[in-house]
Amino acid sequence: MSRLRMLASRIAGMFADKQAADASLREELAAHLEMEIAENVRRGIAPAEARRMALAASGGFTGAVESVRDQRGLPILESVAADVRFAARTLRRSPAYTLVSVATLAVGIGATTAIFSVVSGVLLQPLPYPNADRLMSLTSMFNGSPMAVSAPDFDDWRRTARSFSGVSAGFTTTTVLTGSGDATQLDQARVSANAFDVLGIHPVIGRAFVVGEDEIAAPRVAIISERMWRTRFGADSSIVGRAIILDGFPTTVVGVAPSAMRWPERVDVWLTTRFTEKDLSQASRGSRYLTVVARLNSRSTPSSANDDIKSLAKHSESVDPRHNKNVGARVDPLLSSMVDDVRAPLFVLLGAVGFVLLIACANVGSLALGRLGARESELAMRTALGASRSRIARQMLTESLIVALVGGLLGLVLANFATKALIAIAPSDLPRLSDVRIDVSVVAFGFLATLLTALLFGVAPALYGGTGDLRARLVSARGSIGRRSAARSRQALVVTEIALAIVLLAGAGLLLRTIAQLRGVDPGFRAKDVYTFSIGQLPHRYATHEQEIELTTAMLDRLRHVPGVSAADVSFSLPLDAGGPQFTFKIQGRPDGSGLSEPRAQARSAGITYFATMGIPLIRGRLFTDADRGGVPGSGVILISADLAKRYFPNEDPIGKTIETGWGGPGWPGQKFGGTIVGIVGDVRQRALDGGQLPHMYMPYAQWPIDEYSVVIRSSAGADRTFSAARSILRDLDRDIAMSDARSMTEIVDASMGRRHFYLVLLSAFAVVALLLATIGVYGVMAYGVEQRRQEIGVRLTLGSTRQRVLMMVLGDGLRLSIVGVAIGLVAAFGLTRLLSGLLYGVVPTDLTTFTIVPAILFAAAVFASLIPASRAAAVDPVEAIRS
Amino acid sequence: MATIQQGTLALMILTTLEGLGPLHGYGIARRIEETSKNRLVLNYGTLYPALLKLEQAGFIKAEWSVSENNRRAKFYALTAAGRRQLAREKKEWNETADLLASFLSLRPEGT
Repeated sequence: MSRLRMLASRIAGMFADKQAADASLREELAAHLEMEIAENVRRGIAPAEARRMALAASGGFTGAVESVRDQRGLPILESVAADVRFAARTLRRSPAYTLVSVATLAVGIGATTAIFSVVSGVLLQPLPYPNADRLMSLTSMFNGSPMAVSAPDFDDWRRTARSFSGVSAGFTTTTVLTGSGDATQLDQARVSANAFDVLGIHPVIGRAFVVGEDEIAAPRVAIISERMWRTRFGADSSIVGRAIILDGFPTTVVGVAPSAMRWPERVDVWLTTRFTEKDLSQASRGSRYLTVVARLNSRSTPSSANDDIKSLAKHSESVDPRHNKNVGARVDPLLSSMVDDVRAPLFVLLGAVGFVLLIACANVGSLALGRLGARESELAMRTALGASRSRIARQMLTESLIVALVGGLLGLVLANFATKALIAIAPSDLPRLSDVRIDVSVVAFGFLATLLTALLFGVAPALYGGTGDLRARLVSARGSIGRRSAARSRQALVVTEIALAIVLLAGAGLLLRTIAQLRGVDPGFRAKDVYTFSIGQLPHRYATHEQEIELTTAMLDRLRHVPGVSAADVSFSLPLDAGGPQFTFKIQGRPDGSGLSEPRAQARSAGITYFATMGIPLIRGRLFTDADRGGVPGSGVILISADLAKRYFPNEDPIGKTIETGWGGPGWPGQKFGGTIVGIVGDVRQRALDGGQLPHMYMPYAQWPIDEYSVVIRSSAGADRTFSAARSILRDLDRDIAMSDARSMTEIVDASMGRRHFYLVLLSAFAVVALLLATIGVYGVMAYGVEQRRQEIGVRLTLGSTRQRVLMMVLGDGLRLSIVGVAIGLVAAFGLTRLLSGLLYGVVPTDLTTFTIVPAILFAAAVFASLIPASRAAAVDPVEAIRS
Repeated sequence: MATIQQGTLALMILTTLEGLGPLHGYGIARRIEETSKNRLVLNYGTLYPALLKLEQAGFIKAEWSVSENNRRAKFYALTAAGRRQLAREKKEWNETADLLASFLSLRPEGT
């Protein structure tokens, strides 16, 4: 208590009127002295002697006043305050230096903090569930790669695994909401009844699912997302208990899920899984479409749970080798299962932006060192007046700290905007984007980065500020030892900048080449001028396949008459679009395969003109014709992709062979499909432009109608007019049909490169900033060097050197400086670009083209940066230079 | 001449003020010197920072007034907090002194 009080009064003492306090003290001391003299006199001592004795005993006024002064305030703080005031004054006197430094640091700190906010939100922050670290993702494994889980496997795990307090499964589909305004396609998840409990999520209003609601006979219930609740239902709490129409079925809303409920991500409505007996039977081991999340119980660790699940997988392999051969299982923390494939790239980006910050530090440090030259006489004067080396170092550091703090503050403001921009340009499949925000940890990071920055660029000036021979400095500011080594340090800083810039340019160059390579990949179709949208599940009034076909034919007919439209047709799922389900199939006359070794293909229902519309070429045989309609399932015609032909008919002609699929797909429960192969068409890229080429089989839509499909339109009318025409045609036909995912094929192609594109944009931005800063750095050092060597240049010119030779000399110096940086940078880049290898396609991390162009760019930049100083050197007036 | 520890000087000042009531700096110095039989001599640089410190801690308060021989002087007086602090410190010192005394009075065994 008394200590606090003391501190408070000492802080108050710092701001009190010091002169008044001193005067009062002096009066008090004088009174003391007078009383002592009077006492001495009273004891019979002569007045002069009495005064002398009293003075001797006092120990001196000045010392006492100083000691009391120190006690009055907080001397350390006061000298810091003085430093700050002085530094601020000094910085105001050189506004150009201050402005450039603050701006450079603001950009560096702002960019770094913004990237950190993404890294923090996506990778570091726990998921928004209670005890989120106990949540695990369970996946099946085949040949070391993860697979979705089948319903029977999930059922086994749920019943027999001992490591979890709850195991929950789910999958995402779409659903069509009707009954209020235009039909809308929604992203729907079907989850186990315990999903909300396993995650620990409580609905905003209403309730979670209860046990038994995922039974096949339970009434249909749904939980809607908070976003849906607010946008579609106006946050009306009476929604709970009301029925909405999903896919034509009345479904009772029982609750509203908070925005924290993100399993699975981007879902509008949750329904329950309703596994039939058949879904859970052995026959369904091969259909894998579930993701599984589980909460560890208190007795288990992730690794013990992993062993648990592995042994279960071993067991089912031994019991049912036909379906489970080589199928393992794995437990991973839920968070890492979500973000594993963005972890490395995001850390690479953080590293890259860290390089930008380092370059910014080097630049500001170099500026500060250069400024030492101009302050030589000031520093010498202060040293002469008794400032110690450490006192001057402290002063220098204070200046750096102020510059860094102002830069850091501006940087945080910048980071705020930059983070918003990042979220806006990030590809939508980047996980956890909604968790990215500027929070306490991000601000703390920014502050830490600021302090580190101040240390990094402030240390060199602090070291050199107090060195050097005082006499030499006072006599002539030129050529002192401190200054020479300061100049050498500046060169070292610039070399570092160039090296770092090389690394960033190399990384950006490699990604740029990757995107170019991907653009060169033939996707198997012609994307230009093709537009697509999808039709969510058709209303129940189109119950028969004939009715479906009739509707589709009417729609296509009208679409083909829209001005500009040259072709239009339907297909079940599109190329480069996540990929539809895989079908196993049998080739007639061959023995059955087993388990995962069964032939598999993407099966598509496609209209007759689909191939012409998409620009997929026919390789051999024939395409579908009008005659390919009707018939019984299993006896139609089939087109296969070149890849399927090569894979499953390596030594024979597939045309004329008959194949049969294992199931009928959505809308054909209990059916199998198949037919005679009549032709081979070109391959399309299904998952991504790099790889993702899967065997395909196509069946005519007229033989295999499906109730949700994509419409593809080749049109020269542009996106807006094509889609608005399509929208009005649909509304005209039936307003309960939902049109969604209206996109051009070009957009789909671009989106397939979305993440790489995002990384490329950022890395290129960093590389450009780095190049710019490094160029400024080279310019600064060269300009300073020329200024220093004016006399020498003058002598050279007098002794017969030509101006051209002086010009070449300075340019040569600049080039020499950059050669060192480029060499170091190339070595570093050689080692570091390996980190990018997961993102590259068609180029090796040590790509020769990149590693040739990048140094060339930097040499060009260095020469460019040296040009002005060089021409200034060549223009030196020898007479004037020697005299000065 | 004995050197004074910071804490002990504070205690001496507080005791002096407790015994004599409000007193100016000179009076306090005199009194401490007398009590110590001139083994302690307080110069200004020792006394006044100590007084300020006690004042900042809230143990004493200062006020300008007129001395016995009509001189303007700053008088220091004990506050309630100061009295409590003095009692506390006295107790601690007495206990310490007691403890030390019993150790110092130990005789070597066997004599």
